[in-house]
Amino acid sequence: MVEASDWELVQKCQAGDMSAFEELVSRYQQKVFMVILGLLRNREDALEVAQETFFRAYRKIKSFQGGSSFYTWLYRIAVNIAIDAQRRQKRNPLDFRESMDGVMEERNEFAKDPFADVHDKELRVKLVQSINDLTPEHRAVIVLRTLEGLSYKDIGALLGCSEGTVMSRLHYARKKLQEKLRAFL
Amino acid sequence: MNTCGEIRESIGAWLDGELSGAGADAVRLHLETCLVCGEERRQLENLNRAMKDVFESEDFRLDAEPFWHGLRQRIAAKRPWHADLAEWAGPFIRAPSFAWAVPAVIVLLIGALYFGSILPGWGVLAPRNNFATVESIDAYGRNVALLREHESKTTVIWLYQNPDNENEGAGETSDKGPAF
Repeated sequence: MVEASDWELVQKCQAGDMSAFEELVSRYQQKVFMVILGLLRNREDALEVAQETFFRAYRKIKSFQGGSSFYTWLYRIAVNIAIDAQRRQKRNPLDFRESMDGVMEERNEFAKDPFADVHDKELRVKLVQSINDLTPEHRAVIVLRTLEGLSYKDIGALLGCSEGTVMSRLHYARKKLQEKLRAFL
Repeated sequence: MNTCGEIRESIGAWLDGELSGAGADAVRLHLETCLVCGEERRQLENLNRAMKDVFESEDFRLDAEPFWHGLRQRIAAKRPWHADLAEWAGPFIRAPSFAWAVPAVIVLLIGALYFGSILPGWGVLAPRNNFATVESIDAYGRNVALLREHESKTTVIWLYQNPDNENEGAGETSDKGPAF
């Protein structure tokens, strides 16, 4: 059986076919969740934002004309909501830091291997803190590049900026991280 | 693209495979000879590796069934009208940032000066003077005097008859008003 394309599913969905939307969700929920979790670094917030992303996509799907690929359109919604959520988190940094510590402890990252290299652990903690300190725009390019491996062109399409801007943001984001982590690199 | 500074700005893009042929060659050739930029490259590679490790160690698994169930419930639930309105108007009514404050103040000041110049007394910088006038109201020398004192916000309307000008024509403005 030939798998329906995204565009075919979108058209069915625009005609009111809920099962077509379910198929689109199942195709992209994992990837969308990964990017959002990379941006927010908090599982509960990421789940909430992922649901909001698909909810908004469902409500606006009739306005989607296929000018870009469905996943680009969907990612753009996700990244915009996640960046807004990040700004709200920035206003409440204590809660954010605590939630991140909670995730690390929950996953028992620090106690996984009693002989693990102390240097690596320190680098990891410092890196997480430094990524959290980046601006939402800088964190977005870092996550989309490192986690998703997207090209500068695709990142620019998602964030609504030029390839040059993506290159510049990546350069400055890495520079900031490098400055903070120089002793560990 | 020859200086170390320029090369260092391009190493990240070069490692990402985003540089064109000539640009990529320039970075590669420079890195073969420059130890300082070579160290920069080593640090960036370590940073990229460490970031990948951090992101990959996250538990990215999403439980598909509860996710879809929750989403379906959300779609089925009727949202209150204000939630729809907030979503629709959201992009237009974001809290103004400081960046907008400076041009907004400039525009307001220009507006105040402009109105002050075309409508005396309306601009914020217009002087708030006291106001006094005398008008003749009939042919028998009766006058009305109006005094507005800004500080105390007092208005005095004074009707009087000038005995010396009883026979003067109507509609003329009296030059001699009452002494305030």
